[in-house]
Amino acid sequence: MSGSAVLDADGPRGYALLNHPLFLKATAGLVLLCLWEGVVRWLAPPYVARPSGIAQVILGVLGNAEFLSAAGATLSAVALGLFISLITGTLIGFLMGRIMLLEQGLRYYVNSLFATPMVAIMPLLTLWFGYNTDARLAAVVFAGFFSVTVNACEGARSAPLECLEVAHSFRARPWSTLFDVIFPSSLPYLIAGVRLAAGRARVAAVVAEFFISIPGLGYYILYNSRTFHHNEAFVAVIVLVAAGVGFEAFTRWLTRRYFPWHRPR
Amino acid sequence: MNLNSPWLRGATVAASLALGAVIWEVTGRYTSDAFWAPLSATLSSLREVAVNGVLLRQAMSSFQLYIAGLALAVVVGAPFGMLLARVRWLRVALEDYVLMLYSTPMVALIPFLLSMMGFGFAPKVLVVFLFAVFPVLYNTIEGARSIKPELIEVAQSFRSGEWQLWRDVMIPYTLSFTMTGVRQAIARGLVGMVAAEFFLSPSGLGQMIMMGSQNFDTAGMLAAILLIVLLGVGLMDLGRALEKRFAVWRGYNP
Repeated sequence: MSGSAVLDADGPRGYALLNHPLFLKATAGLVLLCLWEGVVRWLAPPYVARPSGIAQVILGVLGNAEFLSAAGATLSAVALGLFISLITGTLIGFLMGRIMLLEQGLRYYVNSLFATPMVAIMPLLTLWFGYNTDARLAAVVFAGFFSVTVNACEGARSAPLECLEVAHSFRARPWSTLFDVIFPSSLPYLIAGVRLAAGRARVAAVVAEFFISIPGLGYYILYNSRTFHHNEAFVAVIVLVAAGVGFEAFTRWLTRRYFPWHRPR
Repeated sequence: MNLNSPWLRGATVAASLALGAVIWEVTGRYTSDAFWAPLSATLSSLREVAVNGVLLRQAMSSFQLYIAGLALAVVVGAPFGMLLARVRWLRVALEDYVLMLYSTPMVALIPFLLSMMGFGFAPKVLVVFLFAVFPVLYNTIEGARSIKPELIEVAQSFRSGEWQLWRDVMIPYTLSFTMTGVRQAIARGLVGMVAAEFFLSPSGLGQMIMMGSQNFDTAGMLAAILLIVLLGVGLMDLGRALEKRFAVWRGYNP
């Protein structure tokens, strides 16, 4: 952000282009791609993914109906799971944030499940839900729910005391205190929670697909890398990264546009 | 009654833990063994593996993997991040790519590593490393972006050499941000460890979970999961303590 101004001021006039951030970024990207290509050609067996190989297959894979339905299955499971964890997590987090007894009772459970690596629970989830898409959805919800809850709880406690007092002295109903005071002040926390949840949810969906072999991007990667089609498999990784980076950029924009006072952590 | 009194607090927590234990025990007794096992069965299974030495062996194997990957991630990530902090053009060139890798679900790369590197110890360490290195790198760079240019200018106008600049400005300033990264890396590395033990060659605590689920030994599986949950909690507290210890250097307490 501040980098460009400083850089432009830094260099002598003739080197303005060389010091331009876009130029630097593009060059670095090119160098990294060449490095990858070179190392793989030189050291690795021919089936290993490399930029030129991916470039050859990417359009074919992206146009492939099977791949598209796999991508749709994974990403929609992630979206649905995030939605469920956002609703339930916000509700429980708010209650925990405002009712001390509930907070003290649930804190240990929420914190320890928040700290649990979701992968470890996966075998248990397959026992409960069977080897089907329900298990994937459960994994996504499990991965997302606790990050939302922890952040919603923190957000509900961050509501300014003066506002709560004013609401109280004007005899606001609990319902309208929740919606008009607590909810707005905890929105940035909720966004942070969803951002964290989104990263975990993608991992959860992929892990679930590795485990239970249902159609999706994770299974696409597993299948194609086992049959030594690394280039094709890597396209799925690119789609996963693109979805993540896109969502990240969206939430950053949302925070900056609507909650400029909030310091992102 | 004062809701904040430590006695009452302790009592509530104890009551909630006791209630949780009772619910676990009761649901375990009234559901099928294939789904859920009572707490008592889980604990006795835990005692059994602790006595016959399996637990120690598997935990040591997991621990080695975890520490090797995490240490590698910190040793590589922190200095490289600080280098990017100092060399501004390199940082501008690379930071977007680091961000991209930071948000890559590394678990998706495990099948590639499996078919390229096989089942040894090295690919598993690589998995933990990949999970853990980018949080360290990313947060160090974020810290570097927020170094005030005046600090460096002042240091330079007092003719500090490159080494002094690193020692007195760069490292103290970025270290607290690096520690935020280390906290994230501690958590992510644990995920990487379990994922590596599941999807590469089975070993350690991951293998205990897998064995339990494949042999319908639900109590054994729950025992291993309980261990990992406790491990996760302990490591998260450790990470928070580290971060807090160094956050003082930022000049405020978050």
